[in-house]
Amino acid sequence: MLNDRKASELVTKSLRRTLTDEESDALEKNLTDSKELEAFAKLSRQIQISAVEIATLAERGDVTIGPGLSGEAKDRLKDSITAVQSGDVQLSGTADQLDSQQDENPLKRTTLLPSGSDQAWPQQMVAEQGSPYQGADDARIGESRFTVIRPLGKGGLGNVWLARDERLKRNVAIKELNAEALQSEKSWQRFRREAEITGLLEHPSIVPLYQYSFDKNTGEQFYAMRFVGKRTLADAIIEHHERIRSGERDDAGLGLHRLLSIFLDICQAIAYAHSRGVIHRDLKPENVALDNFGQVIVLDWGLAKLSEEGELVNHLSRESNIADKALAQTVDGEVIGTPLYMAPEQASGDLDHVDERTDVYGLGGILFSILTGCAPHETSSELAQSNLKEVLKAIAENRSPEPSDYAQSVPRELEAICIKSMAFKSYLRYEQVSHLADAVELWMAGQSEKKSRYENLRMEGRELRADLQSSIRDLETNARFMSRLPPIQELITAQGDQEIAVWRERLTTIYTGLLTAKSDYQTIAYCKIEAGVCSEIVRVERHSTDHSNIRSVPRSRLRKVKTNPFLDTVIQQKPEEVLTSLVCDADCEPEDNCFGDDDVHLVAAVPVYDQNTEEPYGVVLIDCDIDRVMRRQVSEHATASEIVIACDIHHVMMRSHFGHVVEDSISKTVAEETPHFCQAVEVLQNHLEFIDETNTEVYGARLWLTSNRHGLMYLLRSGRNKTHS
Amino acid sequence: MFFAVKLAFMPQGELFLVKSTERTKQQLKAILRMSNNPSTATDLQATVIPPEQWVDQYGDYRYRYAYSRLRDANASEEVLQETFLAGIRYSHQYAGKGSQRGWLLGILKRKIIDYVRMRAKHDRSSSYEDETDPSLQLFDAQGNWKKGAFRWPRQPDEQIQEVEFRQIVESCLDELPETQRAVFQKSVMDEKDSEEICKELNITPSNLWVRMHRARLGLAKCVETKWLNEKEELGHVE
Repeated sequence: MLNDRKASELVTKSLRRTLTDEESDALEKNLTDSKELEAFAKLSRQIQISAVEIATLAERGDVTIGPGLSGEAKDRLKDSITAVQSGDVQLSGTADQLDSQQDENPLKRTTLLPSGSDQAWPQQMVAEQGSPYQGADDARIGESRFTVIRPLGKGGLGNVWLARDERLKRNVAIKELNAEALQSEKSWQRFRREAEITGLLEHPSIVPLYQYSFDKNTGEQFYAMRFVGKRTLADAIIEHHERIRSGERDDAGLGLHRLLSIFLDICQAIAYAHSRGVIHRDLKPENVALDNFGQVIVLDWGLAKLSEEGELVNHLSRESNIADKALAQTVDGEVIGTPLYMAPEQASGDLDHVDERTDVYGLGGILFSILTGCAPHETSSELAQSNLKEVLKAIAENRSPEPSDYAQSVPRELEAICIKSMAFKSYLRYEQVSHLADAVELWMAGQSEKKSRYENLRMEGRELRADLQSSIRDLETNARFMSRLPPIQELITAQGDQEIAVWRERLTTIYTGLLTAKSDYQTIAYCKIEAGVCSEIVRVERHSTDHSNIRSVPRSRLRKVKTNPFLDTVIQQKPEEVLTSLVCDADCEPEDNCFGDDDVHLVAAVPVYDQNTEEPYGVVLIDCDIDRVMRRQVSEHATASEIVIACDIHHVMMRSHFGHVVEDSISKTVAEETPHFCQAVEVLQNHLEFIDETNTEVYGARLWLTSNRHGLMYLLRSGRNKTHS
Repeated sequence: MFFAVKLAFMPQGELFLVKSTERTKQQLKAILRMSNNPSTATDLQATVIPPEQWVDQYGDYRYRYAYSRLRDANASEEVLQETFLAGIRYSHQYAGKGSQRGWLLGILKRKIIDYVRMRAKHDRSSSYEDETDPSLQLFDAQGNWKKGAFRWPRQPDEQIQEVEFRQIVESCLDELPETQRAVFQKSVMDEKDSEEICKELNITPSNLWVRMHRARLGLAKCVETKWLNEKEELGHVE
């Protein structure tokens, strides 16, 4: 007799139909004796029938068997099928499992996400490459919901909407294919490719992509990205140039500096993209968004080319990794819309030569736009009257435009950078974007130093002018004072040689004292003017070679000459009105002809009236050695690399180079000797100052001796290099 | 005679201890004919449905099948997903012979086999040694039934009870340890021979036998308990 445990085992064997006859007999015996065994046997039998029934019904899909698919599970399955059909998920893993009965990793499987999952790319990569956490709960599946608020913009490929992320309660921008693009398989691919590339580029100046997904209702793909506002670099450039046109010069430098800072941010983003093997190929101000807080965002990577050697090329899905030529085929008229910033190699369709330097050209185009307010190929486009082929042909064949063709006042060094970036031959461009950025940054750094230097230059120029003005005022004051001395009137009325000699001596003593005090004064004379003849009464002069030797000219050596226009003018002045002018010889030569080998003098003259008759009697002249004054001035102001003092007829009166007088320049014209001052000279005909806004190198200041008639020009130039020696 | 006793005991005329497989199948077919669960799948015979409609058309059926084998909602959904994806991948191989539904069922069966096999391999350390033994609950140290180990009043004899009973069996299958359930399902529900089961689950024949017996004991006790509890709640315990 078997115990119950053994008997129960025979029941199991019986149900498995493996009982031997002997076991069958033993079981039958036990069944009659044990109600529990009988119950177990009957129940097990019934369970077996029921289990087979379950299996059979399940195979037939009977609705009473087990739970059905939940709604969510159905959605997930539908999504996975949709994803596979649309290429979201590759089937390689699944297919391999189907084929292979020997898969070593049971949990390595394609993970399909529901629409709206944030994890599409990483999960796909996990599916393809395996995850270090396989075997753990390696999926975080969620859904997002966006509510479209209003349209933001339209492009050739898609529409951009402002939308609300209902989960995070924030605004985002959503891009989706437009109705036309939806019809094209290539557009689907390109859209997906754009999303993938944008998503793989993580840089502060590249628009962050929040999610790429499919709309549950329509099945159409879209991606959500940071909402960066509508303002682009193109708007900022337009504003900058409108300000310049409206005369806001003070803001121009600042505006340019801001735009160049933005430009540097773009360069950094593109340099980063290049480091990941991505070439943007569609760089233009419209593709650079500016948010309200100075953030620069490079958009629109739909035309990006992936370098074969780049790391990202392996990260794109099969569908997105379309050949460059296939991508380019869709370009014509469809994508780029405007070729205004296109490099020649792009325009000619020479796609094999499209590389990082193509983006250097694009960046050069943006710099061009910043400098001129125009797109590089704007003229070509206008000439071709929107005929795309003609425009492309022009770009591919003609030399690259230069900023100065489009605008004046373009900083020369920046223009040089721009020209190099946009060189027709790509090998002549900057090799890397970082080199271009460095050049611009260097210019900006130099520019602030340059600006500081220029401010010093302006200060120096103004000081020079003020110094001479002060000297002239002093000269005029002294001349006026000298004409009011008692001996002046006494000499008019003096009778006899003795009386005259007394008053001459007194006047000589005073004049000698003034010359002793004023080392720049060369001569002081009191002259009688009568019938066109100028007769010196008293003359005290400094020795021509021995500067310290001051002497009174004896009566026998006093000169009597014909008056010149200067003296004629002076004698016609009202009492104590001083006339100051530059003359070669105060006594005889007209000022305009004084330059050459003659010494130039600054002369202040004041008429003397007879107090008795109240008629003009003569003049008091003080001759100031302007050459000496100028030499002292230029030697004391050595900040400027070059100082030129020129007269009204643009002759160089004094020229110094780093504080040293350049002797052989004197008496030559400004145009001959220093053509870089010509623009300043021209401006100074009508203005008191010339400020070099563009290159901040030259400063000019005008000093009028006779208001708006005679004067001097101070021309200063900054710079570190000793040129024009 | 034992057979005669059983015939008297079971009104449908089913045999309890049988040596003939053929006879059991005929009985089951008879039971299925009596079932009031006509399949709608016949409507889909020879119809080729595009993949995007598979979930609606086949999802529930195939899921139920997968669930009946795997007793795990996530696993069932997963193998179903893989079945559909493989169906898309190999759609060119479907020549239109037989129904698409049947073709997908074939894929699903392979997927279930793969899944169970892989799960068994992946979870070998915990699955190889089956430590859940209901014998301890049912037998004393001498191997005799504990008092009241089984109280089975009668077999379900009405259709409503069959359905009810089936549901209890299903729920007890859910509670069965995976190691035992896999053996039971393959043996009973899939009617596979021992050699095949051992190969699929990578276990020895003796291990298979031990698991099978434990599964039957466990299922029987579970079904008995649930059935009696249900009847007690309804107030007509016999």
